[in-house]
Amino acid sequence: MGVIATPEPGAGAIVSQVSPNWLTTRVDFLVNWARSNSLWPMPFGTACCAIEFMAAAASRYDIARFGMERMSFSPRQADVLLCAGRLPFKLAPVIRRIYDQMPQPKWVISMGACASSGGIFDNYAMVQGIDTVVPVDVYVPGCPPRPEGLLYGILLLQKKIRGETLADPSIRMERSLDEHGLCMAPERIDELSEPFGNSLHQTRSA
Amino acid sequence: MNPSAGALQRQFGAAVRRVTESCGDTIVTIAPERIREILAWLKNTPEHAYNYLVDVTAVEYRDAERPLEVVYELFALGRKVGLRVKAQLPKDAPLEVDSVVPLWAGADWLEREVYDMFGITFRGHPDLRRILMWETYAEGYPLRKDFPLRGRFSRSEQVRQALNANPEAHYSLEELGIAEAYHELPPDMRERLARGERGRIPDATGGP
Amino acid sequence: MLREYIPLLMLMGFVVVNGAAFVLLSLLLSNRRPTTVKGTPYESGMPPLGSARERFSVKFYLIAMMFIVFDLEAVFMIPWAQAFRRLGLFGLVEMGVFILILAVGYVYMWKRGALEWE
Repeated sequence: MGVIATPEPGAGAIVSQVSPNWLTTRVDFLVNWARSNSLWPMPFGTACCAIEFMAAAASRYDIARFGMERMSFSPRQADVLLCAGRLPFKLAPVIRRIYDQMPQPKWVISMGACASSGGIFDNYAMVQGIDTVVPVDVYVPGCPPRPEGLLYGILLLQKKIRGETLADPSIRMERSLDEHGLCMAPERIDELSEPFGNSLHQTRSA
Repeated sequence: MNPSAGALQRQFGAAVRRVTESCGDTIVTIAPERIREILAWLKNTPEHAYNYLVDVTAVEYRDAERPLEVVYELFALGRKVGLRVKAQLPKDAPLEVDSVVPLWAGADWLEREVYDMFGITFRGHPDLRRILMWETYAEGYPLRKDFPLRGRFSRSEQVRQALNANPEAHYSLEELGIAEAYHELPPDMRERLARGERGRIPDATGGP
Repeated sequence: MLREYIPLLMLMGFVVVNGAAFVLLSLLLSNRRPTTVKGTPYESGMPPLGSARERFSVKFYLIAMMFIVFDLEAVFMIPWAQAFRRLGLFGLVEMGVFILILAVGYVYMWKRGALEWE
């Protein structure tokens, strides 16, 4: 969907043209170590999960040990977009634009039940999971997740980053919205947004 | 029982359809055609002086034959006494009432919310448009009982419409506070603003 | 005597080379993936409103100008303070005249209201 396939100058092009060998893996290791240990979050905190994020950033749980204490409220200096809280449809273009304005490499953590799936708000106003709007790397379930839960999600993201390689340019490709203004097929969005669990047992009008 | 209720009945007679009391609150149901007159009287008469409009909201009951009610919550700051005024709008007629923005400026956004959620239009409102949903929201009026909880469109359609809603295309120049800088704006923005129905484009002399 | 400046020159050379290397390396090694939306100015996720070229008050320019003048006055006073004893009375009078000339300018500014912000 709307992939930008511009040729990439730079280190990625150099490494991707060389056949993978021990040296490229060492370069990957260095780059991924640097990236995973200094993830500057952009806190896109909309609701209650933002409070738990603040708790995780405070002294008891302390995301500073992961290099994440420097919050970036501008997307230009951020590595990971941390959506903490429910996302109304009215705010969907905002998060999409902010995600688009972040330079690569960028990741997205969807914190909480509402950001991951719409949570308890299965209604006309709430996006049923931000993955219908931006691509998500790690989902942290919970309502709200405990700070330890968020830390586990961050550790998972670090693990994911350590598995990346400069030799694969498709990982860091910019994927913008397609001609309909969506980031994935409409059927997929409907599938992801389908009610599940207790939402199926509601006796109100569907 | 709030003495204003009795005073209203003496002053307006048949326009006051019902007076009840519930949990210590006095509720007066009036005819919707005379809302502005009655509320102006409640605001301006010195012994009542309801100078604070706490809320304007609406109710649709579960029984479909009951009319919609527009509810005005008033409060007299000097006397610390509240009054609830309701007006019933039958569903078979167009849902319109007079706006009370000339009386209380705070009614502006409160009435916009009622319009957004129930579809009740307020005659004489300076800027009646949606406030909670985006302005080009096409699914209807969410808090009506015939509006399904998840909305009328499919989720993908809702996402698509949300991502394509361009909020600033609908702002007026005054709201943006850039009326005086109009001529310095980039041309695509001038064009976007020129298409908005509430924008007043300054003439070449620079005055609005 | 000039030989004492060689370490300074070395430092300057190193600084220039370092800075140039940073810029050059980032130009060579960086990946550029520009998209239209990525290039737009950041306005909290909304499409940007208005141009960034706003007119701002000329008082800022005035403040900067006054600062330069009086800062340079202070700069001239520092070596005089360092060599105060050797310059003696002549130096004192000379500096007094200098400060007096600038003080006339200062009073003029004060009376004209350049020191008022509003």
